[in-house]
Amino acid sequence: MSLADGVKAAALLFVAAIVQVSIFSEIHVFGAVPDVLLVSLVALSLLRGSVVGALGGFFVGLLVDTATLGMLGLSSLVLTLAGYWIGRYGETTGRDRAHAPFLSVAVVTVLYELGLLVVHFVLGESAPAGAVVRSLVPAIVLNLIITAPIYALVRRLLRPAQRDELTAEVQLLG
Amino acid sequence: MAPPSRSARAAVLASSVQRSKPAPRPSQARRALIRRAVVVVLVLAALTLLTVSFRSPTAGALHDVQGAGSTALRPFQIAATRVAQPFRDAYDYLHSLSSAKSENAKLKKENAELRKDAISARASAAKYSQLPKLLHFEQGPTFPKDFRPVNVEVISSPAGPFTHTLEIAAGSSSGVRINSPVVSGDGLVGRVTNVFPDTAIVTLLSDPDSFVAARDLRTGVRGGIRTGPSGTLALDEVQKQLVVKQGDVIVTAGTHSARFPDLYPYGIPIGRVSSVGASDTASFLQVQVQPFANLGSLDAVAALVPTKSRR
Repeated sequence: MSLADGVKAAALLFVAAIVQVSIFSEIHVFGAVPDVLLVSLVALSLLRGSVVGALGGFFVGLLVDTATLGMLGLSSLVLTLAGYWIGRYGETTGRDRAHAPFLSVAVVTVLYELGLLVVHFVLGESAPAGAVVRSLVPAIVLNLIITAPIYALVRRLLRPAQRDELTAEVQLLG
Repeated sequence: MAPPSRSARAAVLASSVQRSKPAPRPSQARRALIRRAVVVVLVLAALTLLTVSFRSPTAGALHDVQGAGSTALRPFQIAATRVAQPFRDAYDYLHSLSSAKSENAKLKKENAELRKDAISARASAAKYSQLPKLLHFEQGPTFPKDFRPVNVEVISSPAGPFTHTLEIAAGSSSGVRINSPVVSGDGLVGRVTNVFPDTAIVTLLSDPDSFVAARDLRTGVRGGIRTGPSGTLALDEVQKQLVVKQGDVIVTAGTHSARFPDLYPYGIPIGRVSSVGASDTASFLQVQVQPFANLGSLDAVAALVPTKSRR
């Protein structure tokens, strides 16, 4: 990953985080909020791999927690794991598949919400499992709706990495 | 042995020759190591931040740094909010428009219900406007002794000019009996002519067969109230030499004989003399009486039930 790509990725995540905490966090549809930041992170991870995904998740989580004056490290923890996992998926089976962004967003939305719920529960804070579960389906739908344009934008911004730039642990025969 | 239809390459691939697992290239192993190290470090860093932040959420260096970071990010958030403001305003406008529409429909429905209630309340008020008069009459000095009122709602009024009865919502179970006098707050209405357990039929004064012994309250002249040929009430059988004047009040005459008590007790107002005439050929005065009670519009009446045993 070049320096220019790093700057672009950082700018992308920064803008996504600001837009998320300033604008999209106030849009409630059936109890769910469209998560531009999560979808952007998924797109970046798919295109740039697990290390970039994990680093992006960590720092953007830190940014969100700082902007919202939330508990530092909470979003970082969940987003780091999400970025890493999606990056690994992109590096292995998910690359070049058209449904990869949508599948990733759907799965990560569920894991992200449940992950936050678990962390809050472990910390002894309010963890309304019922409300989270009820808002899961609307959250998935909303995130899937914004996946296509955001993924296209990120893909346009960051050219897909060459195959040898990505780690390929799954060896294909033939 | 491979089937003959398969190609030589497929046959080779399908053979049970053990292929050695390719060893990862050094650069790939190094990348994997770096990748895992990065994620472990990041997770540990996040957990550390989480722990510190959880243990001292309102004080400490981390709290100060977070506050400074939030202050630094604030302008960006404000800028984003301002950029989004027109879209938000448009959304709010559309949302409030749809809300106003649904609220309008809701208010229309509520208004219709309130109007219905108001009409119902007005109807009830009009219906029971006669009750105070009735109560006043029952508590007044003209209310006959030895009787108690059975206040009752009128179920059905006279259906037309040829009907001179009405139905009341009380019957024998309430003590109402045949020939019980029926009054309104204004005056005499008629008498009960048929009784059922919970309802009764009242024949009005305007019935052609009705007859009430009456007297002029001022002069004491006696006569009988009947329905005249023109459908108005008349005081019959008043000798020409007796004096009855227009405006005199006519009341029930009451009992003449203790053995044959009148159906109507003495003193119930019937009406006012509206005209007095005399002809050379007739031996009686022609006295027309305007009834006090509005016989065509009765909502509540009282049946008079004797408190003592009467024949």
